[in-house]
Formats: sequence, structure tokens, C-alpha cells
Amino acid sequence: MNLTQYFTEAFAVLAANRVRSLLTVLGLIIGVTAVIAIQVLGAGMAGAVSGLLGGLSERAFIVFPSQQANFTRASIKLSDLQRAKDEIPNVVAAMPAGGQRVVAAYGHAHHRITFGAGPDERFSTSTPIRYGRKLSEDDIAEGRHVCVVSDQGYTKFAMIGDPTGSSLRVGDRRFTIVGVLGTDKSGILPLNFNLDVTVPYPTYERYFVHGNAIVFARFLMADASKVEATEADTLNWLRHLKGPRVEYQTFDRKAFSKGVDGIFAGITIVVALIGAVSLLVAGIGILNIMLVSVAERTREIGLRKAIGATRFQVLLQFFIEALALSGFGCLIGLILGVTIGALVNDFAIVKFSGVVAPIPWVRSILIATVFTTVVTLAFGTYPAWRAATLDPIEALRYE
Amino acid sequence: MNSSAAIDVREVTKTYDLGDVKVEALRGVSFTIARGEYVAIMGPSGSGKSTLMNLLGCLDRPTTGRYLLDSIDVSTLGDDQLAAIRLKKLGFVFQGFNLLARTSALKNVALPLFYAGVGSRERNALAAGRLAEVGLADRVNHKPSELSGGQQQRVAIARALVNDPAVLLADEPTGNLDSTTSEELMGVFQHLNEAGRTIIMVTHDEDVAGHARRIIRLRDGRIVDDQATGKG
Ligand SMILES: Nc1ncnc2c1ncn2[C@@H]1O[C@H](COP(=O)(O)OP(=O)(O)OP(=O)(O)O)[C@@H](O)[C@H]1O
Ligand SMILES: [Mg+2]
Repeated sequence: MNLTQYFTEAFAVLAANRVRSLLTVLGLIIGVTAVIAIQVLGAGMAGAVSGLLGGLSERAFIVFPSQQANFTRASIKLSDLQRAKDEIPNVVAAMPAGGQRVVAAYGHAHHRITFGAGPDERFSTSTPIRYGRKLSEDDIAEGRHVCVVSDQGYTKFAMIGDPTGSSLRVGDRRFTIVGVLGTDKSGILPLNFNLDVTVPYPTYERYFVHGNAIVFARFLMADASKVEATEADTLNWLRHLKGPRVEYQTFDRKAFSKGVDGIFAGITIVVALIGAVSLLVAGIGILNIMLVSVAERTREIGLRKAIGATRFQVLLQFFIEALALSGFGCLIGLILGVTIGALVNDFAIVKFSGVVAPIPWVRSILIATVFTTVVTLAFGTYPAWRAATLDPIEALRYE
Repeated sequence: MNSSAAIDVREVTKTYDLGDVKVEALRGVSFTIARGEYVAIMGPSGSGKSTLMNLLGCLDRPTTGRYLLDSIDVSTLGDDQLAAIRLKKLGFVFQGFNLLARTSALKNVALPLFYAGVGSRERNALAAGRLAEVGLADRVNHKPSELSGGQQQRVAIARALVNDPAVLLADEPTGNLDSTTSEELMGVFQHLNEAGRTIIMVTHDEDVAGHARRIIRLRDGRIVDDQATGKG
């Protein structure tokens, strides 16, 4: 059985009826294009979301008091937080977060800035660095007098060039600038909580915290996949620590993604509906044209059977013709869908997020393949069967 | 009983059941055709010639009776088995040529080989050989629309021969051709028969039938005459 020959003949027949074939698969092209374009767009959006959360490692989560809580009562002591890594399974580090407005001096210039405790680099994955480095574990462990300036801080101070090594003064404390962060596209969960200047927590606590003011805490896990269990353990641990009256909540990348997933679920349903309708319409078009094709070529079918083609061979011929037709439509739909999806993605998403997500080729090709298969099987089989079961004598007599 | 007969038809009947009417197209026909014979089947319209050819061509099964083709009883075979017999043992030539329109002469002739599972290079070589045999070596790449009626029928003959069949069946092969072209075509048949081909041909034309070596005449579904023409 020479399949290549069947395909060659099928394409020759379709090419001979160019306009008709094209009109027939138009519906399929539109449907597949729509589904794949939205699908590519969805991947772009998911990529953007995950990019936006780049400031927070997926191994990290944040704990903060529930809205109803009394913030003073809910604050956590640094010494308690430092024990967390020994007392909560899967937690390898815990880092407080806090900040306030201060007036800081850089050179001769004084500016009102937001200032607070920054986590070490392990908590972030992709916040870019413009100059120098992020805060290190040693900076924090030793409570060094160092600071990191965010891109907005850099702009506020009107810094020029690489400021690392020079110092920044807050009150009567001097901090050596060790790094400048790059533009954080997120704005949602940046590494530094949008603070202009961050210093190691112990340093911050020593000079700027009066009383218990830790209301936000960051936790780092060894295994990101156990995030739910670890968050539950952490909340339990806090309940032991602070009593049942103070409530905390957690936030992580997954929590954010979940909200986005909800939107996607809606879009997916709409896409699935478009897909199903286009599948049906396109399928009926192909069914119709294949029946016409079988009727037109009744004598040819009679001849083929007379000279010895089996029912299966005739069935295969028309089946492959339907397959070529829908395969062609889906291929065009695939190309158009990916192109349009990528273009819209460029204009609408990448522009704002700065994150270029890779085109989901595997899934797109899979969708096109499924469409081809379903349309061919559901609507190409009957005409092919009609052709295969024609009586050769009657078919040859057909005018 | 001659077991080496190419065709052995015994008491074959064919009745078309049209609900309230039964049409007895063949009412008990028996004959044998030996290998290498050249037989014309004649008879008035409606006498059952095409019905008989369809049975001989394994396109249909007899209502009763037996039909041995090349010593194989084909009267009870299933559709796909009959298709296999048609593919291997029979060659068809139709009044209307029945060539694939958009396909070259070569590919038309090669079609049965495709169904027989022969590789494309061998197919083309065999098909080209058959086209040369019917005098169309220089028309290999012509489409049917680029050929005359006589040439088209020769392509059909080449196609019928490409599988090297035991029997060549032709139902009014000259029906669509003028008398000069018919004569030419009869020349091709003559030539093939002299080379050992068994040929059975239905015709209305006494002149055409005269080229055969034997004429079987049908009337109302029965053989009324079966004689050698004295040719050959
Ligand atoms: N499929 C069929 N259904 C019903 N009756 C049929 C069928 N085919 C043939 N007949 C009838 O059987 C008889 C013989 O028909 P057949 O076609 O064999 O005649 P023929 O000798 O080939 O005639 P012609 O010279 O006109 O071609 C006719 O009466 C015809 O009407
Ligand atoms: Mg007839």
C-alpha cells in the first residue's frame, strides 16, 4: 500500500478544484486560526504573569496579618523569625520585611525616600541588577552597613553612572551602596516591595525599629512543590507563637497565578466553544464537498473497482482526500493562528510586561492535529464509505 | 469437460428482482472458451450481452449456475475476492474508454499495477511497454483530452493488458468509434490474439464481429447460435 501515491493523487484532485477546496476549508482555517491565536496569546499572558512575579522566587512566600488583625499585636520578633528555619519543615530561611519614609542624603542632596529591610538574593529570581549586586546572606548575617538602591531610588537621587562604593546617609547612619537594581517591570511583587533603598534587616532593626514592627515576613522553602503544606505549617507555627486571636495570611506566586488561571478558564471555555462550532461547520462543509466529489466521480470509482481496486483501497482514496483537505486547512490555520497570536502578543502584552513568552508550538500543533483528525474521521468517513460500497456496474453506467 | 478452459460457464442464470417484476436477463447459458480464443458475443438489444459480460468480468455473481474462470469457481466469491480476481485475471475495455481525465496515458495504464502493489518505477516501465505494444509509445505523457477516440481506446486496452490478464473483456469497444478507427482497433485485437491473448468482445457490428474466430449469439437470455467464423 503506497500512501505517498494516495496523497499525491489527493492533492492533485484538490489542486484541480482549487477554489472549491479553498472555500470548503475556509471555515476550518478561521476556526483553527482563532483557537490557536487565543492559545498563543494565553501563553504570552501566562508568560507575562510569571515574568511579572519574577521578583519573588517560587520557593518564597509572604506572610502578613489578615486585614482585621491588630497590626501591633500581629508583629513578629526577629528572634522568633530566626528560629523558623529550625521549627518549620521545608523552611530554610525567614526574613522580615518592613519599611518607612525617611529623609536620606546622597552627596549634598536630601530626598524623602522609602527605606526598609530587603531580603537576600535567594528570595528573588529575576529582579535585574544594574550595578553591583543584591544583598547577600553575609550582609544580613553580619548586619552590615550596606544598602541597595532600586531603580526608582536611583532616579530620585538623580544618580549618574555607577554609584556603588559611595555612601548614603540616613539620619546619622552611613550605608555603603553595594548595588543598584534594574528596572523591575513587575510593580506587583518586586523584590524590594517598591522601597527606594533597602538595607539588611538586622541593620534596619537596630537603628530604625522601635518596638515590634515586623508585620511582613518572607519565608524561603527548600522544596517549592510543598508550598501549600509549608504555608499551613507556618500559619500553625504563628498560631502557637502569637495565640489564636491574631490571624495571618500567606501569598505566593501560585496564589497570584490562581487568579489569572480563573480568567484563563473562562477564555478557554469560549475558545473551546468557538472551536467546537467551527469544527462542526467546517466538518459539514467537508462532508458536503466530499459527497459531491464522490457523486461527480462515480464512473471513475466504477472503473477503479472494475479493474480490481478493493473497497478498502477506494475508501482509503477518498478518506485521504478528506484528510488532505482538512489537514491543509488546519496547517494554514496553524500558521495564521501562531502568526496572529504572536503579533497581538507583541503589541498588547510584551509592550507592557517586557516578557516575551515562547510560542507554545507543541500545543498549537497538537490542536491542529486534533482538529484534522476529528474533522476527517467524523465527516470524511461517510463519503469514503459511500464511494467504497458503490456497485461497480451501476457506477460505470452512471452518467 | 475441459479443465484448461479459460472460461467455463455452466447453466448460468441471472434474474434481476425489481420487486413486483423479475427480469430474467440470462436463462441458462453454458459454454466454454479455451485459452487463446477470440470470441464475439452478439444479439439484439436487451438480449443479455452486457449481463453476461458483467458475470464473465466478475463484476456480478450469477443467480444460479457455476462459472469457472481459469479453473477457479468464482460464482460464490465475496466482493474483495472478486476484486482480486478482476485485478489479476481480467482486463476490461469499455465502450466509453473510462480513462481518468487529468491523468497521463502512462499513469492511466499503470493504475491496475498500483492496486496490485507494484512499485512506481516498475509500474511506469510496464505501462510504457504496454503503450508501445498498442502503438502509443510517443503518447505516453498525453492526457486523454489530448488523444483521439481511437488512441484513447488503445490506452484503455494497454491498461487492460498491463496486469497480463488471462482474459480480455470488451463490451462494445468500437461503439464510440468511426468505422476507420474501428478497423484499426480490430487490427490491435487481431495482433493481441495472434500473440496468444484470450479475447471476448460484445458488438452489434457484424463487420467487427467478423474479426473474431467464433461468434456466440444471444436472444432473450439464451444462446441461439455458437459458430466459428472460419477466420484464423
Ligand atoms: N441492473 C438491472 N436491473 C434490472 N434489469 C436489468 C439490469 N441490467 C439489465 N437488466 C435487464 O436485463 C436485460 C438484459 O440487459 P443487458 O444490459 O444485458 O442487455 P444487452 O444485451 O447488453 O443490451 P444492449 O445491446 O442494449 O446493451 C434487459 O431486459 C435489461 O433491461
Ligand atoms: Mg449492453
